[in-house]
Amino acid sequence: MTYFNFPHIEEDDNLKNLRNDVKSFLKTTFNSNNIKPQADAWMYSANPEFSKKLGEKGWLGMSFPKKYGGREKTMLERYVITEELLVAGAPVAAHWIADRQSGSQIIRYGTEEQKKEIIPKISSGECFFAIGMSEPDSGSDLASVKTFAKKTDDCWELTGRKIWSTGAHLSHYMIVLARTEKLDEKNRHSGLSQFLVNLKLPGVEINPIEDMTHQKHFNETVFNNIKLNKDALLGEEGMGWQQVVGELALERSGPERFLSHYILLDNFICEFRYKMSEMGITSLGKIISELQTLRMMSFSIAWMIQEKKSPDVQAAFVKEAGNVFEKKLIETIREMSNLIPFEKWSSSLKSLFQDATLRIPANSLRGGTSEIMRGIISKQLGLR
Amino acid sequence: MKDEAKIILDICNKILLKNVDHHLRLNLEPISTQFKTLKDEIISSELTKLLVKEDLGGAGMTLTDIIPIVQLSAQYGTPIPFIETIISNFLLSELNVKPENDFITLTNKTENIQIKKDKISGNFKSIPYLNLVEKILVETEIKNQKYIILFKKGGKLKLQKNFLSEPKFDLDASELEIISMMEKPEQIDVQNLLINVRSIQSFGAMEKILKLCIEYCSQRKQFGRTLSKFQMIQNHISEIALEVAASGASLSTLKNNNKNFYNLKSTAIPKIRTGIASGKVIALSHQVHGAMGFTKEYELSYFTKALNSWRNEFGNEIYWQNILGKLFLNQNKNLWEFLNH
Ligand SMILES: Cc1cc2nc3c(=O)[nH]c(=O)nc-3n(C[C@H](O)[C@H](O)[C@H](O)COP(=O)(O)OP(=O)(O)OC[C@H]3O[C@@H](n4cnc5c(N)ncnc54)[C@H](O)[C@@H]3O)c2cc1C
Repeated sequence: MTYFNFPHIEEDDNLKNLRNDVKSFLKTTFNSNNIKPQADAWMYSANPEFSKKLGEKGWLGMSFPKKYGGREKTMLERYVITEELLVAGAPVAAHWIADRQSGSQIIRYGTEEQKKEIIPKISSGECFFAIGMSEPDSGSDLASVKTFAKKTDDCWELTGRKIWSTGAHLSHYMIVLARTEKLDEKNRHSGLSQFLVNLKLPGVEINPIEDMTHQKHFNETVFNNIKLNKDALLGEEGMGWQQVVGELALERSGPERFLSHYILLDNFICEFRYKMSEMGITSLGKIISELQTLRMMSFSIAWMIQEKKSPDVQAAFVKEAGNVFEKKLIETIREMSNLIPFEKWSSSLKSLFQDATLRIPANSLRGGTSEIMRGIISKQLGLR
Repeated sequence: MKDEAKIILDICNKILLKNVDHHLRLNLEPISTQFKTLKDEIISSELTKLLVKEDLGGAGMTLTDIIPIVQLSAQYGTPIPFIETIISNFLLSELNVKPENDFITLTNKTENIQIKKDKISGNFKSIPYLNLVEKILVETEIKNQKYIILFKKGGKLKLQKNFLSEPKFDLDASELEIISMMEKPEQIDVQNLLINVRSIQSFGAMEKILKLCIEYCSQRKQFGRTLSKFQMIQNHISEIALEVAASGASLSTLKNNNKNFYNLKSTAIPKIRTGIASGKVIALSHQVHGAMGFTKEYELSYFTKALNSWRNEFGNEIYWQNILGKLFLNQNKNLWEFLNH
């Protein structure tokens, strides 16, 4: 009767040691480079130099084959590293998408040349990616994208407009979901393909969009009839939907879905540890229980991915439960501070809190909305 | 899962599938044939001795091994002291006492205990299924020493007014015959063990409720459509599914190591998480079932009542949140260290 299994995976000594290695690396690197921890750093805090340092440590491209410059390590090892980076608020935004999802798509679907050319650079922290899914008229309804790739004798001609492309201005490539056949209303998921697009090509236009926190991390990316080599087609023509679903499992299941604002919690505790009301302590117990549970779920999915299972629905669980958790976390921190007026918080804590409060609405939108996650779960349960 | 555990789970499944239904739950009497048949089959297949050491005639399984069995029994809404007997026999076995060949029940809620010669007197609270057993195992403290005592039922049973799921009784006992009495070994924490059993049972019951919701909403039609086609209903059910999934994951550390059944942190986490989930699942599942779910005849309410009973036992989740919060604050660690320790 078990509907959604999250097998129990144990963190062995090897992983525990790896945690400690990452911790001490971060401590020294933060100190010697004067890096300040940031909340939601996987989106807001890009530092190509830092990404390169991670690459030098061998902590990017963890699961990729050695012959393409990867490390042939496990997804569990990658999981431990990403957790430690998030918890430290490390500036990981530059490489995050490449390391999380784009590299894996290339390993699965790319040509031999693409793997040889790109994967080593992802692993060394020198090649960054953006996600080309959403369009002005296609948000939740991703299959309705209009960006079109026309096949000619010797190339593909790509025309369209992608939007909300996080980090495109810093990135070298974008994996673009495009139509290669006209939309068939009866079979909306057919006729889509994925393309590996070099963002430096002539005809690619990247326009920043300022978000409500006045930062420019996402963009509009326009393709004006750009010419792509034949091998820019990633995977199989017409199989774009099936491919994108796998990519989304990687995008949705990681610990960034519930650890984006961890440093706010940690700083709050450090500051008010000895001034907490009984109510605050009680709320803290709840946070610990929920957070630990989410970690178990996400860790379990990392294992499923490693075992080549398809945890698409489990990923939707982590995404949705993680978003709910983080929204509540910020409200709970307000409640926990009932004895200490906001004005009396340290300026660094206040700043983290303000950032979190402003940024939190994005959590349940990026990577697919809450409503869409619940739709995926309902479908799996046979309700639709 | 080990092969042996799979076979045992299969045997257990067959027995429960054949014998447990809502009729049994509503007509639970020691003299009913349905109850007697079920009991005979469970006892004769030695399922109550799964945790008993092999040299005492048991299967020698561990606490982590029997998680799926506790879960299964809760999915079936098994209204008998099956799990209580498994745990009682386990405690006896840990004390090198032979297991019982009958159902027994247990409690650790005792007051005014007095022992004279081979007789026990005192007040015992919240004993599940006392009407269906002849012997009781208790953990009790006498002069700063905890004991585990098995004694014969007697005296007056008072049925508690509780959530009307499993019957629970208070017992005022005077000079009842002790069968065995031992000092409780240091490493065993009976209360945490019982709480963890409840967390696993709660997870099993919530899985069953999810199944009932899906089935009911896929059959019942309103406005010319099955309820399952309404997005609001899908939203309710997906939320139930989320809570069920999180509850299952919160039990993870128990699967890690038998000792975690006694450990405060690994007890608190699932106690809290399943407690939170239970509240949501009870409310949402009743909502999607309409009036039908509010009847005695339809089985949903058996499971929601059980959840309500369990989540309020041994302190509710809010009480345990406070314990966990303090456990963290009292250790001089940062939160991440505490979580990873
Ligand atoms: C910070 C941020 C970063 C992003 N980064 C990227 C990126 O790098 N690359 C990229 O491609 N995209 C990116 N996105 C876009 C993101 O994937 C979309 O915002 C998301 O898919 C929702 O689309 P939309 O914003 O157009 O909202 P809409 O789809 O218009 O939805 C609006 C509301 O309607 C609801 N809704 C829509 N359809 C249904 C339905 N069938 N049932 C019930 N409710 C429904 C939605 O849940 C939502 O509440 C980013 C978004 C944000 C906020």
